[in-house]
Amino acid sequence: MKKVTKDVLKDASQRLMFSMTETQYDVLLDEFNILIQQMELIGKIEGVDNITPMTFPFAVTSDKLADDVVTPPLTQTEALANVKQHVEGQVKLPKVVG
Amino acid sequence: MHPLDLTVVELHQAYVDKKFTPYEVIKASLERAKANKDNAFECLLETQALEQAKALIDVEVDNVFWGVPFAIKDNFSTKGIETTAGSNILKGYVPLYDATVYQTLINRHAICIGKTTLDELAMGGTGMSGHKGVQYNPYDSTHTRQVGGSSSGSAIVVAAGIVPFSLGSDTGDSVRKPASYAGLVGYKPTWGTISRYGLFPFAPSLDHVGFFTRSVEDAKHLMLALEGEDEHDATSRSLEKTFSLKTQPKLAVLKPVLESMNDQTILNAFYANLDALKAKGFTVDVIDFSKPLLEAIYPTYMTISCAEATSNNANLDGIKFGPSSWGQSYQDVMMTARTEGFSELIKRRFVIGSFVLMKENQDVLFLRAQKIRSMIVEALHHVYQSYDFIYLPAAPTIAPKFTDSSDRLSSTYLIADSHLALGNFAGLPSITLPFGFKDGMPFGVNLMGRAHEDLQVFYTANLIETTTQLRNVVSGDKR
Repeated sequence: MKKVTKDVLKDASQRLMFSMTETQYDVLLDEFNILIQQMELIGKIEGVDNITPMTFPFAVTSDKLADDVVTPPLTQTEALANVKQHVEGQVKLPKVVG
Repeated sequence: MHPLDLTVVELHQAYVDKKFTPYEVIKASLERAKANKDNAFECLLETQALEQAKALIDVEVDNVFWGVPFAIKDNFSTKGIETTAGSNILKGYVPLYDATVYQTLINRHAICIGKTTLDELAMGGTGMSGHKGVQYNPYDSTHTRQVGGSSSGSAIVVAAGIVPFSLGSDTGDSVRKPASYAGLVGYKPTWGTISRYGLFPFAPSLDHVGFFTRSVEDAKHLMLALEGEDEHDATSRSLEKTFSLKTQPKLAVLKPVLESMNDQTILNAFYANLDALKAKGFTVDVIDFSKPLLEAIYPTYMTISCAEATSNNANLDGIKFGPSSWGQSYQDVMMTARTEGFSELIKRRFVIGSFVLMKENQDVLFLRAQKIRSMIVEALHHVYQSYDFIYLPAAPTIAPKFTDSSDRLSSTYLIADSHLALGNFAGLPSITLPFGFKDGMPFGVNLMGRAHEDLQVFYTANLIETTTQLRNVVSGDKR
């Protein structure tokens, strides 16, 4: 397991696209110290590594398709209702390429 | 009797008997909502609710929800109504569609009077982290105690007699723990039996729609109204209704959970209740259960839920959702929106989620947590081979004070305060019932049944309710 340091936490928050204050990183580091001890309890359980991981409570299967019903799409006004900036009916976004 | 101190079923009967009109009841509900000081609402829907009430003239005798006021946690989509999930990052977001559960209740002519406060993005168990500030327990007029979370506002509004039922969500215990602290019935169904379409996802493998009522009877009515397959939610399925109900069920009490509790008032009440249930013909056994597995509940929950949350909330980027503060690049926009939009608590949870998903950690943390979940669920299934229910105090204490702190490595914290998440791991139907009072504050008991046997849970919970005599408790009725 990767050692938990302030630099590791800073790297994680940058990848998550937000920043935190130095004080907040200190609090988080303290929280990790407890959390890692709690997680070590998991590692102590015998036979855990031979078990199949569980991703959902039950297998979810569906063998039918939704009915093909024509429904009206959003109007342009509705589609732009939550858009912060738009120009000539188009969503305006910051530059992504180049 | 004030109409809002009635249960859903009683209020419906009062409508049938023409004792009140929906308009009178909704007006009274809004008045109580405005007078309440516990910070329960993100917003009130006064105009909409009164208009809907005015339009209801002829009572529908077969529809217990006709004209009944309710409130809904603000992490359910409501068309045309700002929905923030208690987070600044969603400030100003107005959904274009309704959650299935909300639409179902509106179709039944129930009337939503407001959207309720919550821990930010439903991540938290205290009612202290939402963007509207702290929520207070309605049983504590000094405002020193939590009501619990994350469905904090939804618990307050039912306990304070503002509405007879409300909707919440439950990923670890976010309905059933506040229910214990607020003297309520809190229910989460078998995973998938109530559509989650329109519920903001936190950790989909653990998320459930849940609700608060003041009687088991009301909870059953609500479940029957909301259950069913929904083409908008591929994980939804209909409730199983064809099995035979057991009138004298077998209850298993997990010994290590009781051993991890210190509050003698709650323990004594619980033991006394076990005797009362035995006298009614229940079989009750205190059984062993792996303590290491129980101690693993909390870290397993944190690992899985934070990892899923980190991924699910990646769309809150200041472009698709969230406040748009313009920048030179989309990275600038995203960085600013997420830095300013999320509280410290949420950022910490996301970093935990990111850490457990790092390449170096995935096998020893995330994957191992999923394996432990599998072991825990297998151990539960083993219990259910011999017993119909697991029955336990819902929480180790009455509602904590805001200033209380816990030893997070103690058995009390890891087991007694965390065991309700067993129901989320295995997707089991689980109900918390009011059970007693200590220092004027309520505490609850929890009954967890086999998957798909929700109707058996209601039947047995109803029998337990007759032993506690705590039905339709409103916070004005302090004991």
